[in-house]
Amino acid sequence: MIQISQHRKKCIGCNACVEAAPGRWVISQKDGKSTLVGGSVKKDMYVVNVHDDEWEENSKAAEVCPVRIIRLKTL
Amino acid sequence: MGKTSSQFEILAPAGSWEALMAAIKAGADAVYFGVEQLNMRARSTNNFGIKDLKKITEICSGHGIKSYLTLNTILYDHDLALMRNIVDEAKCSGVDAIIASDQAVMNYARKQQVPVHISTQSNITNIESVEFYSAFADAMVLSRELTLQQVEAITREIRRRTITGPSGEPVRIEIFAHGALCMAVSGKCYLSLHTHNASANRGACIQNCRRSYLVTDKEEGYELEIDNEYIMSAKDLCTIDFLDKIANAGVSILKIEGRGRSADYVFTVTTCYREAVVAIADGTYSPEKIIRWKQSLQTVFNRGFWDGYYLGRRIGEWSNVDGSAATTRKIYLGRGHKYYGKSGVAEFLIEAHTLKVGDEVMITGITTGYVETVIQEIRVDDIPVESASRGSLVSFKLPDKIRPSDKLYKKVANQPS
Repeated sequence: MIQISQHRKKCIGCNACVEAAPGRWVISQKDGKSTLVGGSVKKDMYVVNVHDDEWEENSKAAEVCPVRIIRLKTL
Repeated sequence: MGKTSSQFEILAPAGSWEALMAAIKAGADAVYFGVEQLNMRARSTNNFGIKDLKKITEICSGHGIKSYLTLNTILYDHDLALMRNIVDEAKCSGVDAIIASDQAVMNYARKQQVPVHISTQSNITNIESVEFYSAFADAMVLSRELTLQQVEAITREIRRRTITGPSGEPVRIEIFAHGALCMAVSGKCYLSLHTHNASANRGACIQNCRRSYLVTDKEEGYELEIDNEYIMSAKDLCTIDFLDKIANAGVSILKIEGRGRSADYVFTVTTCYREAVVAIADGTYSPEKIIRWKQSLQTVFNRGFWDGYYLGRRIGEWSNVDGSAATTRKIYLGRGHKYYGKSGVAEFLIEAHTLKVGDEVMITGITTGYVETVIQEIRVDDIPVESASRGSLVSFKLPDKIRPSDKLYKKVANQPS
């Protein structure tokens, strides 16, 4: 299992994570920021636990995020 | 500060509540600010939200100044819903104009009958562009890379052709008067995108140009030190010493850069330019005053000053400092406690360092904005003292009301390095 987290408040809605991992990220029609699909919110952080096979795409999403708000860790 | 009629409108940056109030106190005619992420300071943590729009416009109209909303990044399809929402909310809140660079914003704002100004991101450099954008906008900022001769030619041609905006009034020309300059032509820098995937044109610039660099010999790996390591960091623009020429060039709006700057910066810069435009209007603009304003401008954040491209420079002047060359800095002393309105006395709790008689202090806060004074007398437990240290509840005379959320700072001289 891996955990993906996002400090959503700081998102600038550039769409880079959506392009890297389209199954896990989607731009909200409401506020134009990226939403972590399946994520639940704890304080300001959105968090989701997913299968290991999502590591590659989402590490790319974290890498291309211009405001560095996406984190991945192995559980 | 009271306003005197002047040909110029002074447009100050408001990146925070403190800066907004400081701009108003310093005599700005208008402020510009961003909400959410579709503006050139998207990375800033200070950005306002849509929910703040109403309060900002109420504060501005209550003080008789205009409020302009920046909505000037590159836009993608997925941004359009938010863009429309921001324009709609801006209209409901009574924002005076939206500063736009993307045609989607111009088009939608025009349909919603929200006035539009054109952003520096659109890089207007000629009269035909002015005429084109006049279908959408009543005011436009010209490219920072133009000379004043080029600016003057454009304003003359606007008058000759009677180019009017949607309001039916002649198009007003704005230029950047003071603040940070981009090393690239505005809106065309991709350095930050290349190195960090952080597009400057989406408000996410990481300011690569402000860093120092080494040149490496790729064959043998030798690193060469360059005399001035800050090879791309432009000095800050300052036009206060040739504002008379800018007036003669037919400019209507003077924009002060700095939505990332603090309240004391906004207050100091706006005050200087306000005084200068008043001096031009009443015929008292003089070399002595210019020296005084320049000294004052040097006390707050700056990378050294130059006159930009307005006077015909062909290449930029580069800064040689890491961060600011300001002649003063501020030290945090404490926070507001109480204000006694009848006696005009402010009480502060000192939390760090020492407050002394003779200290030059500044107070900033979200409602107070910016206040500065020189301490004549301090009292602790109503007894006059020479100094007050950490933990003391001190009081001193202050004509301006202060609040518990306000912060007290001492201004000290920066040692030249």
